Amino acid sequence: MWMIMQKELTELLRDKKTLFFMIALPLLLFPAIFGAVGFFSSKAITEAENKTLNFAVIGAEHHQVLVDALAAVDTLELKTIGDEDFKTLIKDKTLDFVVELQPNANGKLLEVGQTTVNLYLNDAGLNQIQKRFNKVLDGITEGKRADAFAELGISETQQIALLEPVIVEKINIAEERENWGERIGGLVPYLLFLLCLQGAMFPASDLGAGEKERGTLETLLLAPVDRTQLVLGKFATIALAGIVAAMVTVFSMALWSIIIGNAMAISFVIEIVGQISIIDFVLMFLMLVPVASIFAAVLLSLSIYAKSYKEAQSYMGSLVIFVIVPIMIALMPGVELEGVWAWVPLTNVALAMKELVKGTMDYVQLIAIFSSTVVIAGALLAFCVYWFKQEKVLFR
Amino acid sequence: MISVNSLAKRFAVENPKKLTTQEQNDPRLKGRFFYSVEDVSFKCEKGQVLGLLGPNGAGKTTTLRILSSALKADKGEILVDGKNVSEEPIQARKSLGFLSGSTGLYGRLTGRENISYFARLHGYGKTQTEQRIEELSSLLDMDDFLDRRSETYSSGMKQKTAIARAVVHEPLAVVLDEPTTGLDIMATQTVLDFIKNLKAAGTPVIFSTHHLEEVAELCDLGTVIDHGTTKFMDSIETFKGLGTSMNDAFLNVLKGA
Repeated sequence: MWMIMQKELTELLRDKKTLFFMIALPLLLFPAIFGAVGFFSSKAITEAENKTLNFAVIGAEHHQVLVDALAAVDTLELKTIGDEDFKTLIKDKTLDFVVELQPNANGKLLEVGQTTVNLYLNDAGLNQIQKRFNKVLDGITEGKRADAFAELGISETQQIALLEPVIVEKINIAEERENWGERIGGLVPYLLFLLCLQGAMFPASDLGAGEKERGTLETLLLAPVDRTQLVLGKFATIALAGIVAAMVTVFSMALWSIIIGNAMAISFVIEIVGQISIIDFVLMFLMLVPVASIFAAVLLSLSIYAKSYKEAQSYMGSLVIFVIVPIMIALMPGVELEGVWAWVPLTNVALAMKELVKGTMDYVQLIAIFSSTVVIAGALLAFCVYWFKQEKVLFR
Repeated sequence: MISVNSLAKRFAVENPKKLTTQEQNDPRLKGRFFYSVEDVSFKCEKGQVLGLLGPNGAGKTTTLRILSSALKADKGEILVDGKNVSEEPIQARKSLGFLSGSTGLYGRLTGRENISYFARLHGYGKTQTEQRIEELSSLLDMDDFLDRRSETYSSGMKQKTAIARAVVHEPLAVVLDEPTTGLDIMATQTVLDFIKNLKAAGTPVIFSTHHLEEVAELCDLGTVIDHGTTKFMDSIETFKGLGTSMNDAFLNVLKGA
């Protein structure tokens, strides 16, 4: 088995395609993609915030103070429109927004009550129009509200109580780790499972259907080696490739987030990682091993069945959905590691990983989940061995 | 010695509607099963070379796959150096050197690594493997390309490497499935010379081919399989006597003349 595994690994490491998907892509391209997305997103937001906006006001005479305040902002430019259809002007980007004021817009609050300002804009793309408009409007509104309170003779303390009669002060007794673990812990198995599956797919296609297509499988069957050993050698290679791919990507992301992240993000990452004990990291890795074994056994069975590399890839593509669904269940709010969910394969491992991140894992339960996953992986591996011994599968 | 007795192998037909008219009319199609091999027998003793002949689809490859223990026979018996292939497949494979129809080399490994891998699977140690590879490299004239990745090889280089891999463990019997197909004259001659060397060393050799002139040059025995049944099994001299030429003799056997 080890001899077969050693040869398979040698071949895999010489395959540029495998090296690209397993090592180069996670190490360089993923961070580059995420970095580029982050860079261009923040650039687009900054541009939207600083862009000079052309606007017009309908009924400006009803609230000249507001109109003047808007016009006084450097990046807002007041335009005059005649009888033209202002909606068309917004559509053809002559104007960015139009404010429509009612006759009572600048009346005293105690006299006119609540008033409505219509803000017309094309809100389909990224823009910061409402935010920038509200910034100006809020300053004026707050002043008017303060005037109204003063006219009513309400003290500052009373004003505060009227605006917010009850303050609910939440005192969270959960530890900080449990807090952010609940929020981001579910993403850990999501990331690990999919990366592991992705990393195992290429070698699986190559070691089963690929060998069949190239005629090397028939040659290998002539070697004086029990077929179980052949399957075990291939299975171990695929499982290892999946684990390595997941680990390389996680390592790469952590490394790149430190390199390209800002100082706040660094301290946050270090804070998060620092709170998880080595034992929990090791347990997460151990939980990944039977999961990778399940993937490897299923992928190898599919690959052996397929007549060609292409056919194997098409089978494997549909497998992704069967992996995503149990992880998505684990991400759903209210789904906890108890009752029936503790026995659903993959979902239970995903939930256990989340609990490990949160620091709230019941280790006795973890043994049960680990054992049940190992049993499933063993059963699938046994099927894979049986499958590999079928003539109708090998010589389809 | 290789002995094949009354071999039979059938395959379930998964979808009869997909069969061609020719396949539907083939007498080997019986109900849900297609008898790829119905009754095949032949024998090759030490120092003999047996030419396995037959038209495409006759059952040669299935017979050889059973012989190599890649497939299991439904009926009959194959003995390789006295070991029953069905009962002791691993022992039988140790005694047998087999070259399948495709060269089946690992493209990302060098020729040396390809051969070495199989030597190690046969239980050879490092030094023993290296010595054996040097010996085969010299015999098959492989020194120039042995340490290059086999994906860069020509057809001749691939075939030489595949042959070296098939015999690296010094088998007691050798089976070669169309070893000269697609080779140029020089490479073909190297392969034929290698078969002669095996014969001279007393190793029984079975080789399937469509080149009757190679059979005439090398073989002591001839076997013709058609429709999964042995139609002829005798000395090559007897075979030659069945027609005015090798081709004529072959056609006469198929016609049952």
